[in-house]
Amino acid sequence: MNLFIDTHLNDVVIILEENGKIKREKILKDVPENSKVIMPTIKKVLGKETIESIIVVNGPGSFTGVRLGVTIAKTFAYTMKKPIRTVTSLECLAVSTEETEKIVAFSDKNGYYIGIFDSEYNLVGNYEYLSNSEFEEYSKNYNVLTDIKLDYNKIIDLALTKKELNPHEVNPIYVKKIDVEKNDKKR
Amino acid sequence: MKDVYILSVETSCDETSIAIVKNGTEVVALTILTQMDTHANFGGVVPEIASRMHTENITMVLEETLNKAHMKVEDVDAIAVTYCPGLLGSLLVGVEFAKVLSYVYKKPLIKVNHLIGHIYANKIDNKMEFPVLALVISGGHTELIKMTGDYEFEKLGETEDDAIGEAFDKVARVIGLPYPGGPNIEKLARDGHDTYKLPKPVMDDTYNFSYSGLKSSVINLVNNERQRGNEIRKEDLACSFQTTAVEELTRKLELALKNTDIKNVIIAGGVSANKYLRGQIQELCDKYDAKLNLPEFIYCTDNAAMIGAAAYPLYLKRDFADLELNAKSTSSIC
Repeated sequence: MNLFIDTHLNDVVIILEENGKIKREKILKDVPENSKVIMPTIKKVLGKETIESIIVVNGPGSFTGVRLGVTIAKTFAYTMKKPIRTVTSLECLAVSTEETEKIVAFSDKNGYYIGIFDSEYNLVGNYEYLSNSEFEEYSKNYNVLTDIKLDYNKIIDLALTKKELNPHEVNPIYVKKIDVEKNDKKR
Repeated sequence: MKDVYILSVETSCDETSIAIVKNGTEVVALTILTQMDTHANFGGVVPEIASRMHTENITMVLEETLNKAHMKVEDVDAIAVTYCPGLLGSLLVGVEFAKVLSYVYKKPLIKVNHLIGHIYANKIDNKMEFPVLALVISGGHTELIKMTGDYEFEKLGETEDDAIGEAFDKVARVIGLPYPGGPNIEKLARDGHDTYKLPKPVMDDTYNFSYSGLKSSVINLVNNERQRGNEIRKEDLACSFQTTAVEELTRKLELALKNTDIKNVIIAGGVSANKYLRGQIQELCDKYDAKLNLPEFIYCTDNAAMIGAAAYPLYLKRDFADLELNAKSTSSIC
């Protein structure tokens, strides 16, 4: 069974998948303190099943949310000596849409994470974080897909094509700059 | 009785640390990965960066600890973790990590208060005897506590405003010393004399402390001297400040020694690494024929060994946490 963990925003998504089929899933919306919920949910979803591999959404998104998912996933992989793979939150969106021009984005409170993908779901350029006003300007010129229903079968399929990682080296991607990084630039 | 091995995790601030402690007193292995150099670039701990580095490093710190101990996680009896107080994002990394270990290896999970950990640093190598007066002094806390047994705390007094470590850090910044402020003040003070007149807090009969007045008077003094174009004798100011700050502690500790007739004293928390402070408290204890126990230097600053020591009495009481455990940024001992 493949264990899929996504905590990149306020939702907690835990899925158990095998041979292209979702065996069990729990999708909890708008969890305020997800640290109280993630591990109990994993325990519930796993039951007595054994994990063959781990997939984690490693961001971008809520810094703490992504970090908890990644910490849990890499600790599972390291201790159980199971393969681990990552998929980004924007790849999840790209693979879930049928559109051929894939400029996908999602919002946190203050702005939008955005990524451009080719038809093979390869990222073109870099992920960006745009403020709400920057995003508004950008979306006047480009068709940005923001309302995408996630297709977890496709997401897990895509993740399984990726290469296995050393658990020590699995880390979140944050994209959005924090204050000290902005100041660094000014300096 | 069978030996009890506890694997303990500490990530409350800017050290990623994992230890294995036997019977709450013997450190089998300890790894401390400090981020101090990174944060020094920013003049203080940046919470988001601290959390990020914990996630980056935590499985490697586990591996190193297990290698040092020649043990596997299977061999330990419980997993302990600091869940409060500290930087929330940092604490959460340790808490979730510990939960996975507890779940995967089916080991009981023990939640430990970081401050109680600092007190139990004195249990390492069997140094703490009850009843004892514990002076907890750190960047966030200044408390005088009476302990009559394991986890039996009675708070005698605490700071009414700033913590002593906070005052050290602020004063260091005002006189232009780099982070970390406390150790740099101590270093500078060695070359100075107690020449600046700083106000002593009002003497009262409580065991409470106050540091904001002292801190403000140093800031005012520096500003006034600068306005007048006078050079500040940094060494002397550091020495005067440190002398007054430590006096505030010894004054209240002396009151407690007189009133309680307790003959054991421990000091705990990051500020307990200050050698001048240790010397002054030792003198006071000698005067009252009390025994002062000091943790080894390595157990004074944040480390997981003290968390393992503090977890042991909880293990004996079967005081276990479950997978819903959450971290808390604030908390007191009692």
